[in-house]
Amino acid sequence: MKHHRFEKWLRNIYETREEEISCTECFDLVSRFVELESSGQDAAASMPQLRQHLDQCRACRDEYETLRDLRRLGDESGLPSVDDLRNSLS
Amino acid sequence: MPSMSTQRTNEEWLNDLNASGEIQDAAITDLRDLLLRATLYFFNRNQGDVAGMDRDQILQCAEDCTQEALIAVMNRLADFRGDSKFTTWVYKFAINRALITARRERWKGKSLEQLTSFDSKTLTEWSLQDRSSGGLPDQSAIQSEISDTIWEVIERELTDRQREVLIMMVFNEVPMDEVVQRLGTNRNAIYKMLHDARRKLKHRLQARGFEIGEILALFTFQR
Repeated sequence: MKHHRFEKWLRNIYETREEEISCTECFDLVSRFVELESSGQDAAASMPQLRQHLDQCRACRDEYETLRDLRRLGDESGLPSVDDLRNSLS
Repeated sequence: MPSMSTQRTNEEWLNDLNASGEIQDAAITDLRDLLLRATLYFFNRNQGDVAGMDRDQILQCAEDCTQEALIAVMNRLADFRGDSKFTTWVYKFAINRALITARRERWKGKSLEQLTSFDSKTLTEWSLQDRSSGGLPDQSAIQSEISDTIWEVIERELTDRQREVLIMMVFNEVPMDEVVQRLGTNRNAIYKMLHDARRKLKHRLQARGFEIGEILALFTFQR
């Protein structure tokens, strides 16, 4: 653990709330969160508990970031084809 | 050649997937295609996780994950509430399976001992600010007190399980799903253990008079 990770961990400790949502609840809500963000709304303000869980939980955050980026590609035609994706795996 | 999925509204997706015969078959084919693309997209972005697999293995893995995600989506169709695009909702399932698989792949060969090993001296080293950045003597003393307090909580206030999970995930960066697998539990239980540990740490630090602003000022790199 490098120093900056220790700092991040301290922040996480202090940002702990007495009640936090679970990973299951996060999974259930994250598509709505991503949709709000993609329509330009302040998703973190509307769904603060979800945002807080994402800050605390790396697995859920990594999934969220991929989901967000996929959503940003727009509709289905924006997502590369199976062939293109297979080919770009080295 | 695989076709690009037909664009459907949310309603059309649900109708078609719940239909029968050719309409349902076509919808499932398109759904599978989307899930596979989301899965491959994830592996593309996380090639480090799958570096131990050759290309054929990764592609097979993607197929397996896609199948699991497809089953999960079809089982949970009634849960879709329409508060996002249907595609956003289904991508979640693909990403979740892909992440679990990829992260576990990277940690496959390691022993439980490797995952759980930790030394309190390391905590002290990590928490101390680099001397060359010109920290004041007082700062080092307070930093030591803080890391001692943290170590005390870890040693004395956490349950054995909480301590084990915290060491694995916070210090040794073992991914959550690897911990889930090794301990035979689930994400929610692991999250709860870490949450309980964080609460204890927070309460103890605050009880000793360390508030967030001053602590982070002490520990933040001089920029």
